[in-house]
Amino acid sequence: MSTTIAVAGVTLDIEEKGSGQPILFLHPGEGLQANRPWIDALAKTHRVIAPNHPGFGKSSLPDWFGTVDEIAYLYLDLAKQLGLKDAILAGNSFGGWIAAEMAVRSTSAFSRLVLAAPLGIKVRGHLERDIADMHSIPRAEFMRLAWADPDKGAIDYSALPDTELAAIARARESLALFGWKPYMHNPRLKRWLHRIDIPTQLIWGEADGIVSLDYAKAWRDEIAGSTLTTIPNAGHFPHWEQPGAFAAAIAAKP
Amino acid sequence: MRTWYFSEMAYHPAWEKGLARGSLRVNFPSENLDPAEAGKLLNRYLDEFRLCDEVGIDIMVNEHHSTATCMTVSVPMALAVIARETKNARLLSLGNPIANRPDPVRVAEEMAWLDCLSGGRLEMGLVKGAPYEIAPANSNPARLMRRYWEAHDLVIKALSTTTGPFNWEGEYYHYRNVNIWPRPIQQPTPPIWMTGMSVDTGTMAAERGHVVGTLLSGGTAKPMYDAYRKRARELGWEAGADRFAYAAIIGVGNTTEEGLRRADIIADYVRTAPVVAEPFTNPPGYNSIAANTMIMKGGPRANRFVSDRNGEPINHRTASVQQFMDTETVFAGTPDEVYEQIKAFNTRMGGVGNLLFFGQGGQLDHKESMANISLFGKEVAPRIAELNPPKRAAAE
Repeated sequence: MSTTIAVAGVTLDIEEKGSGQPILFLHPGEGLQANRPWIDALAKTHRVIAPNHPGFGKSSLPDWFGTVDEIAYLYLDLAKQLGLKDAILAGNSFGGWIAAEMAVRSTSAFSRLVLAAPLGIKVRGHLERDIADMHSIPRAEFMRLAWADPDKGAIDYSALPDTELAAIARARESLALFGWKPYMHNPRLKRWLHRIDIPTQLIWGEADGIVSLDYAKAWRDEIAGSTLTTIPNAGHFPHWEQPGAFAAAIAAKP
Repeated sequence: MRTWYFSEMAYHPAWEKGLARGSLRVNFPSENLDPAEAGKLLNRYLDEFRLCDEVGIDIMVNEHHSTATCMTVSVPMALAVIARETKNARLLSLGNPIANRPDPVRVAEEMAWLDCLSGGRLEMGLVKGAPYEIAPANSNPARLMRRYWEAHDLVIKALSTTTGPFNWEGEYYHYRNVNIWPRPIQQPTPPIWMTGMSVDTGTMAAERGHVVGTLLSGGTAKPMYDAYRKRARELGWEAGADRFAYAAIIGVGNTTEEGLRRADIIADYVRTAPVVAEPFTNPPGYNSIAANTMIMKGGPRANRFVSDRNGEPINHRTASVQQFMDTETVFAGTPDEVYEQIKAFNTRMGGVGNLLFFGQGGQLDHKESMANISLFGKEVAPRIAELNPPKRAAAE
């Protein structure tokens, strides 16, 4: 079910489904893609609350809004407004970065954190890319890096109506706004990951070509007590590529 | 109509390799350039600019980055040399890609310095820059024009303020003591130019009284000029031809064949310059959502470099010189023929006061380039100057 809710001057377009322990799921830069089966898989056991980020879907992007820390504050406000307690905070890729920015600020609404292939931290040296430069490679190469089976991720743009193409163009522009420079990370975030004080699970597709397992281990080393679950035959978007295994990994509470 | 000669100061010896790799820009490694050869070429190109002053035409310089198509990395640096080597030519910077520059006050300083050095001969373009300039500058393509307008306002404020320092605390730029020395001879600022291809650009330029220029596509130029004239009228003034500029490749010769041959060689620039690896051609946010929707629907065809009189894209990679002439990307032939082509273009556009004369491109050698400039300067420029006696472009 799609609803809109006004939070801190931003209109958020939110997908919601299922009942049980709430899971606030933050989508990757490629969008929410609510038509894929991942929401149903999670909704079997949880109340899934999945907002479109500002500038994505039908969510507004006010002129004054433009940084990842603002998204973090916005969603902390959203959690408060929804009265979330004991919820799971989950995010994939760009959404994982947002989730981590939220968790270093406040975990009061959440009892667990799930970071699936998060972007957001800088680990290695100036000359090394921790995060593949998704904007300097052709789309076909991006698909090869981001999916174990790129055919599963393919979107036939020629079959989409103009309104959906416009939404994709707007979402790409919004992702650039938030993550162009520094590229898809906050140079200061890693220093503050120690503030995360709830059980944290890292989930990684074994075929992820955007952020490597070494990057996953760097996250694990920074968050005390965190665990790492890998999913076979999944790339950078494990909830899309292996929705059953992704839901099972969350249900397993490692 | 004034004539402004320009050349991109290309490093054409590497073009074949770049074409073979499918990219002449951004990710074409500089090991493909011989620096000694680059130095020889730069000196040669600067000699060609100097000739313009001798034959009585004005000069335009632009800049690009990380590319074999253009070695001018800094307009002010090139114009500093040219200012010292010329006496009369007006010097058009077209221009500073201000949304890609971290320091607009530095831009204002450089422009003021050039205006002083040249005795007030500077004209100052403030441009958005091409999409493939985003990567070399690593500037954010999202909200690019918002950053552009803040930089634009700051550059003008810095040039025109004589009682500084002043304070600037904007969205993108922060200064507490702006007070540039020297200040420009032309007050409040040297004449300001913009470039673009859209009706929106025409409207926005009209609101500020800037000169607006477009390049290589008559089909997109006309609606932009019309939008400018319409907006100016709404604001209570009549836009003269001196508010408009058009860049075309021009080959002129003693025979039709010689002119066409020169134009054909220069046109290799158009066949080559847009060849750049796919990801850098359309960074997210650079183009409007509506334009990107069309590109996603239509594929790369919808994003072509040159369009015909109806705005339909043509294949710039393979077009013949005649096809380019049909789209008004190229004017070519004898001085009489070129004059007639420009005259017809000027009439069709409703008056264009500035012709940006793309008279050297890549493989056109020094001797031929000098002959092209010389013949155009002597035989064509004086005649087109009578087409629209342009008022000297003045800052609004």
